[in-house]
Amino acid sequence: MAQVVMKALNKKYDEVHAVKDVNLHIRDKEFMVLVGPSGCGKTTTLRMVAGLEEITAGDISIGDRVVNDLPPKDRDIAMVFQNYALYPHMTVYDNMAFGLKMRKFPKAEIQKRVQDAADLLGIGELLKRKPRQLSGGQRQRVAVGRAIVRHPQVFLFDEPLSNLDAKLRVQMRVELKRLHDRLETTAIYVTHDQVEAMTLGDRVVVMKDGWIQQVGEPLELYGKPANKFVAGFIGSPAMNFADAMVVEEGSGLVVTNPGFRIPVPPARVEQLRAYKGQTLTLGIRPEDMRIGGDGVNAFEALVEVVEPLGSEILLDITVGRQAMVARVEPTVRAKIHEKVRFSVKPDQLHYFDAKTEAAI
Amino acid sequence: MSDLASRRARRTSAARRREIGIAYLLLAPTVLLMVGVLAYPVAWEVWVSLTDLSPLNDGPARFVGLENYRRLAGDPQFWRAATVTIVYAAVTSLAKLGLGMGFALLLARPFRGRAFVFLAIFLPWAYPASVSVVGWYWTLSPPIPTAYSVFMGTLKYAVDSAFGGGAWAFLSVTLFNIWRGSSFIGVFLLAGLNAVPPELFDCALLESKSAWRRFWLVTVPLLRPFLALAVFLSLTTAFSDLANVWMLMAGRIVFPVVGTHAYWLAINSGQFGPASALSLALVPFLLAVLFVLFWLFDRPETRPARGTA
Repeated sequence: MAQVVMKALNKKYDEVHAVKDVNLHIRDKEFMVLVGPSGCGKTTTLRMVAGLEEITAGDISIGDRVVNDLPPKDRDIAMVFQNYALYPHMTVYDNMAFGLKMRKFPKAEIQKRVQDAADLLGIGELLKRKPRQLSGGQRQRVAVGRAIVRHPQVFLFDEPLSNLDAKLRVQMRVELKRLHDRLETTAIYVTHDQVEAMTLGDRVVVMKDGWIQQVGEPLELYGKPANKFVAGFIGSPAMNFADAMVVEEGSGLVVTNPGFRIPVPPARVEQLRAYKGQTLTLGIRPEDMRIGGDGVNAFEALVEVVEPLGSEILLDITVGRQAMVARVEPTVRAKIHEKVRFSVKPDQLHYFDAKTEAAI
Repeated sequence: MSDLASRRARRTSAARRREIGIAYLLLAPTVLLMVGVLAYPVAWEVWVSLTDLSPLNDGPARFVGLENYRRLAGDPQFWRAATVTIVYAAVTSLAKLGLGMGFALLLARPFRGRAFVFLAIFLPWAYPASVSVVGWYWTLSPPIPTAYSVFMGTLKYAVDSAFGGGAWAFLSVTLFNIWRGSSFIGVFLLAGLNAVPPELFDCALLESKSAWRRFWLVTVPLLRPFLALAVFLSLTTAFSDLANVWMLMAGRIVFPVVGTHAYWLAINSGQFGPASALSLALVPFLLAVLFVLFWLFDRPETRPARGTA
């Protein structure tokens, strides 16, 4: 069990600055997820923790040791790879025992640990098989088992569920979460899938272009995104954005564009006053739009596409000239080319600086 | 079975017969080609080895049974050629495998100037054999006085007097084969290394500091099919080697291998029968070696599955 601390961590390849000044404190027993689009530096960061990539600048410590110059083997970590990385010439048992054998553990101890892990993961029957004879889900379990038997201080997961089909992915996600609750080992988990990040992480790190965008608990990222990128990345369907002008009206402010005119809630007026007469980016989550209403917070939209998903309906709409998505109750009967009125709660709106894209 | 079902069954089997017929038709060109360029020549050679066929004899070839083989068995020349061939094949294959593996491991990791190293390693193979031979010959026996001309002369004298006449020649041909062939094996194994998902090596790196153990426990087993094929190619070319020896010795056969001995018998002495017997004599041995090789290195159940998720 250990905390992992990254201080001013940087990785430069010849041309590319892949990881930029990453500062991160992962607490003992925490499940930390690094999420971001491909090329954001999340995997490189993980591989630096593992020791598979050299650190260009900065420090990584695991527990209370700085591990920069320690070989991977001595960092007391175990890693699960996206393509499982099982050795095709070894049986499941030998694959799981590999790390312990390399470390010259006594045979009886190896046997016990492998058996325990196999029972925990429900692959006790498969120990004599070769990886080739297993399904994708079984292989993934073996890969996880191989990490568990080592009793490491930190688990590193590199997109471990990406090669599984959608149904299996959901199932394994739940299992990984249960496993972590049980083993209570610090885990760093890399994924490009924001749903995985939200469901698995105690905290989530959102990265883009090598920079950390925001670190926080899943609901914090959802409710208080630090910038437009995080706002658009977390949540599905993604948040709608619309450029709008801040205008004074009476003693308050409204944000307005050709599609709508929505008052700024009194609590936010002070913050937004600086933007008076300027354009900013308004963010509305699809689930924050309600059908109907004709108060000041309502606006009219044209329905372009109706996507009934059973438990909900997604409406692709145009507000003014702006395309948006609204998520509404399955009972709503909306038709294509129909004009529908939507309303929003002003305190659920998000405001972003049009230039810096930072949340206001 | 109802009438309808049996009629349907009959129709199915007719369709199946037609399918089989088309399959054979599609196979025909390949089969003809294999028969024409492989089966027929081999069968002919087997037949010739059982006759006294020779352009020096009048009349049709006479069937002599195993006489040619019997005479070979009693011929010390044959045993010498066979021994030399086997040693030649074994030594060159081992050395090429070792060096080739080294080259492959060297080239597998990126470093500055890798392209040049790659070129330097691959050059002896990329040039036509004759050019490489001249290069090698001049390396060992410089055509103009160089700093090491005297040394090479002394070395040749020392090797020949220590191991007997022909030892230097054997050594130079062997080294040539290794020099030229290891580059090919190297590139071949590099392709093999590149085909292995890098995570498998990463994963080993997490478990052991010792490159030596990782090599034997992970790299070698993962490369097994490629190693088997590399040894196979190396052995068969060494067993049938004529060109390297011939060119490097300029036709003066100081030490015979099976290939040169057979060529000598057939082309220079006109003894087709004994020459065929000679070239076939080591085939069973070679087949046995290859069988063991593939059994050891590329058993179907150890082969990694491909394309299954």
